[in-house]
Amino acid sequence: MKTLLSILCILLVFSGCSSPYVENNTVEEIAPVTFWSLNQGEGGKFKITTLVPPVTDEKKRLFTLNVDLLKQGKKEFNLKFYRELKNGQLRMLIINEKLAKKEIISLIDTILSDPDVSPRLFLVLVRGSFEDFLEEERKVQKNLDYYLYRMFRHYERRNQGEMSIVNLHEFMEKVYSPYSDPVLPIFKADKDNFTYEGTALFNENKYVGLFNKREDQMFQLIANDHYLKNLPIPHLNVSLGQVRSKVHMQVDDQFKTLNIHVKLKGRIDEYRGHRNILDRSEMNRMTHDIESYLQRETAGLVKETQRLKIEPLEVGAHTLSPLVHPMTRREWLDHYEKMKVHVKYSVKIEPLSL
Amino acid sequence: MFRKKKRTAANQKKNEEMNRITHEAVTLDLLKQATAKMDDAKIVQRQTNNGASFSLVYIQTLIDKERLNEAIIQPLLQSGDQAFIQCISTCSVLRIHSIEEAKEHMLFGAVLIHDHENNEWWAVQLENTLSRAIENSETETIMYGPKDSFTERIEQNVFMIRRRLPVTELKAEKFQAGSNTKTQVQMLYIEGIANPDIVEIARENISKVNFDLILEASNLSAFMDDHTHSLFPQFMQTDRPDSCAYSLGLGKIVILLNDTPFALIAPITFFHLFQSPEDYVHRWVIASFLRTLRYLSFFIAITLIPLYVALTTYHYQMIPLQILYVLMESRSKLPFTPFWESLIMLIIIEIIKEASLRMPTKTSQTIGVIGGIVIGQAAVEAGFASKVLIVLVGISAIACFLVPNYLVTKATTVLQFLILILASFYGILGIAFGLILLLAHLNGLSSLKQPFFAPVSPLYWRDWKDLFVRAPLPWAKLRPEYLKTVKKWRVSKGEGSE
Amino acid sequence: MSSRFRLFDRTAVMGSGYIFAMVNRMQMLYYVLILPKHLVHPYMMAGILGVGVLSQINLLILGKYLTSNYFVLGYRGFVQLFSEKMVRFFAFLGIFFILIKVIVTTLGYVEIVHQFMFPSMKTSWLIFVLMASGFYIASQGMEKTIRLSIISFLATIWVILVYIPYFLPPISQTHHLYPLVPGEVSLHSWYGLLMVWSALSGPEYIVCLGPWIGPKEKILRGMSIGNALSVFEYLVLFVACLLYYGSPYLQKISFPVVNMIRYLQSPVFERVDLILISLNMIYFLYLIALFLLCLYGAIRIVAGRINIKTNRKGFLGSVAAVFICMLIINGWYWREGEELNLWVTLQLWLGAITYLLVPSVLAVAIKWKRGQS
Repeated sequence: MKTLLSILCILLVFSGCSSPYVENNTVEEIAPVTFWSLNQGEGGKFKITTLVPPVTDEKKRLFTLNVDLLKQGKKEFNLKFYRELKNGQLRMLIINEKLAKKEIISLIDTILSDPDVSPRLFLVLVRGSFEDFLEEERKVQKNLDYYLYRMFRHYERRNQGEMSIVNLHEFMEKVYSPYSDPVLPIFKADKDNFTYEGTALFNENKYVGLFNKREDQMFQLIANDHYLKNLPIPHLNVSLGQVRSKVHMQVDDQFKTLNIHVKLKGRIDEYRGHRNILDRSEMNRMTHDIESYLQRETAGLVKETQRLKIEPLEVGAHTLSPLVHPMTRREWLDHYEKMKVHVKYSVKIEPLSL
Repeated sequence: MFRKKKRTAANQKKNEEMNRITHEAVTLDLLKQATAKMDDAKIVQRQTNNGASFSLVYIQTLIDKERLNEAIIQPLLQSGDQAFIQCISTCSVLRIHSIEEAKEHMLFGAVLIHDHENNEWWAVQLENTLSRAIENSETETIMYGPKDSFTERIEQNVFMIRRRLPVTELKAEKFQAGSNTKTQVQMLYIEGIANPDIVEIARENISKVNFDLILEASNLSAFMDDHTHSLFPQFMQTDRPDSCAYSLGLGKIVILLNDTPFALIAPITFFHLFQSPEDYVHRWVIASFLRTLRYLSFFIAITLIPLYVALTTYHYQMIPLQILYVLMESRSKLPFTPFWESLIMLIIIEIIKEASLRMPTKTSQTIGVIGGIVIGQAAVEAGFASKVLIVLVGISAIACFLVPNYLVTKATTVLQFLILILASFYGILGIAFGLILLLAHLNGLSSLKQPFFAPVSPLYWRDWKDLFVRAPLPWAKLRPEYLKTVKKWRVSKGEGSE
Repeated sequence: MSSRFRLFDRTAVMGSGYIFAMVNRMQMLYYVLILPKHLVHPYMMAGILGVGVLSQINLLILGKYLTSNYFVLGYRGFVQLFSEKMVRFFAFLGIFFILIKVIVTTLGYVEIVHQFMFPSMKTSWLIFVLMASGFYIASQGMEKTIRLSIISFLATIWVILVYIPYFLPPISQTHHLYPLVPGEVSLHSWYGLLMVWSALSGPEYIVCLGPWIGPKEKILRGMSIGNALSVFEYLVLFVACLLYYGSPYLQKISFPVVNMIRYLQSPVFERVDLILISLNMIYFLYLIALFLLCLYGAIRIVAGRINIKTNRKGFLGSVAAVFICMLIINGWYWREGEELNLWVTLQLWLGAITYLLVPSVLAVAIKWKRGQS
């Protein structure tokens, strides 16, 4: 028995595995990066930025590098910094709009193939210079990266209806799905501010357009969250609160018309107009106004997607049924482009009480 | 080597048998020889009022002197013409023949009487019944329920059980164990409930014990265990007569030893080690909750610290960002790696635990305070350990005391160390290795040849009523299936009344 | 001491619960983890069900043997049914089959660990630890190893509950399930069905466990429930994968069943997958132990030492031989990253063949024997 055991040991040693130890990730020796900010660099390279050391109270530095490959960036950082950078706690990937126009999918593939990275990573587009924002803000805010993450997490959970929050998996799933196109939130960054701008639109994996803040509200209502905490309609001097929508889409058999019926429920948050909305008939008129406003806006939104020939609203999914073989994406989009759109809203507003 | 040992043991046995066969007749000289240099041995010669002479041989520390006077000396002195033996007013009087018999009786507290005329020897049991009073159980305290506990006297212990189970089916078989201690062992079981096969196994196991000193219950169980190298006790020890009675009623076997207040209960399962008599006092929902809590705390006790090591050494990606923040903060200036840090802290905790256990009560308080301050405060401030670890060590140290069985409590400590080592090699995977091997080990154990992991593997669904959940007693109409009892019903129906 | 080392003792008979757990866990071994990727299309749900029914029929045929008297006799039963020479020949074949099965499943598990937990780990040590643990479990004897099936079943069955969130709205996309009718049937789909069949293989090895299994009447019931549960689990996992990924994306994911758990977060541990991968080791270990024992038995039969007592040296030797084979294959012939590499494909075919042939050959043999007498 002893001889057998010793033979085993010798074999193990000879097969080149002298130590059972695996990768060392001792927490005090690593710097678990929480975000990468990617930007276009000089000479066709990337500019890759992060704050180090992450998740500690220490004073932070901004690290920026020009690299060809994403992983090369990580390596170069390690040569520069006293703790090893690790991707296991990566929570946000902030991509500059300009870079996104050129390529996005290869970047995301790289991130996705890393087993350390959780598919719950938030993807964000940025217009302007996020690096400048970091540079300024890190002086004021100690845990900038952490608070940014908490913000995304807050809006992701239970769909707060303020922003489109998209994580890595959702994005990829939509890229591959023939009847839907991914979206990403887009932020505007400058020295002082980091503000939500709207939703960036993609055609499969190409960045093609954008819903601005006003359109974005409609988008949240009919496609993304089906909920808005607050829907201001300045045009009618009214603001609706806790708006919940139920969307019913129908495409006819010849793929000629699209009927969208949205049932909306909400209450009046604020009113600054001249109508006496405590009166029922006045209120009805008001509701009607809101309906026609929403119809106009929504129709505009759908038109925009038809013009761009993209599918963030996932209309095509409504044409699928268990027994019919689906058409290809191209066929569907050709139909979709020419489709007539009818939008109908039924708004129910809880009576205002004082 | 092993075979050799066996052979010598066999030889010894043979010799003993030879001795027993060649018994010599009792003579006063032989007894004098045997009691030489035993200052507490007395040999007294007297004459009755009509002149017949007799001798008394006894060891005065072992007998009750007052009763010696009352029951033997006075009657004998005034016996007149009556035969000796008719004067003695105690219940157990035995005629003895060989010197071996004489010695044995004498050493168990008998007075030997020699009738000079007829050259007859008699042994009269007059042992000293000195013992402590029946007190509360200190090892298994409960709020409600009976408070008496066993004492060192086996008669008293059997009495306490018999009083609870006044049925003739309760059998008590006597054995003797230990070549020097000659410890009296009694095996109790209820005939007609306990499985005869298990009783036979126990009987065989007890009679096979071959050792010089059997001083307490663990000594005996060490020779009866099926698995000598296991960390887990295969016999339950208790000093509560009510637990014993309960176990007997279910169909288990209770083994009592003289001179020790702890009884052995078998066959048990792993899950019995987590049951407390108090489970049957509480409302069933609460009892179930408490029981589940015990399993949980056992799990916490063996995995919490290893988990800390695994997470901080390998799996930082598993920790939520908020917690990672705290961890990095507290670990940033420590001199040791998580594994060494934990190992050192755990060993220190064990030292403190052990010290406070061995110390008199008053000193142990001091140890508690010093330990608390040294561990809690100073280690962190000096930068030897992280705050997080101190919290975790505290939790796991307390968690392991939730297991009612003290032997398991100590076993958890060792398990914790083993899993800690595995965790330091393979992180979470190492912990999983540890737990799986633990399960496999428990699965392989047996108590009196009955599977140790019983209602789970082999699977007896019916017994799950009293496993993690303690179902209401009226539901427990059947005895545990794994005990394979002769009578299954606990209520008066089905296979007849009890 | 060595006289106490008995591997093939029997003190009790294992009821239908064990058969159920054993069949189920054998069928949930390894292949289910890569299966969805190769089934891809929603209509393959029907494929899984269909193959499940076929597997049930196969189990009925297998039941023919398991309820015969030959089964209870174990080795002697085989000898009665075939000649001793034939049994030795079959055992020799069996060695090869079991060896491949043990090696492929172990290396497959090692690969998962390597890919998801410790990308920079050297795998040899992990293989060593796995084999050592398997040896420990197996050395407790056949009876206790079989008994472990319940524990490994209970310890892992709840994992299926983890997939519930994938059926709930924020993650699931119902339209991924359409269409349910196949457009055109390609060779790939047939291959997928073969994979399901092969994944469902394993219960045929119960024929080696004759003396421990009983009573006769309940064997078939245990197997059927086990098989049904496996098919149900396959369906749950496959549908969860579809709902989560959608067919086009699913094709590109390696180990989809494992990969998708990375998406879940519990409040205490954010990466549940690491815990689940570690936990699933229990039934890999259990089956390794079981197959090691079968292998040792087969070696004893081939060597004609069936009547000689088992000893630790022999068993350790055969385990060491398996370990060395594994190291060699792992070192030189195992290509990582490619799930359907040579060995996995080989086992795929071997599993399918044994599962198809063993029951029918035995059934035919019994019939032939009855006709003879």
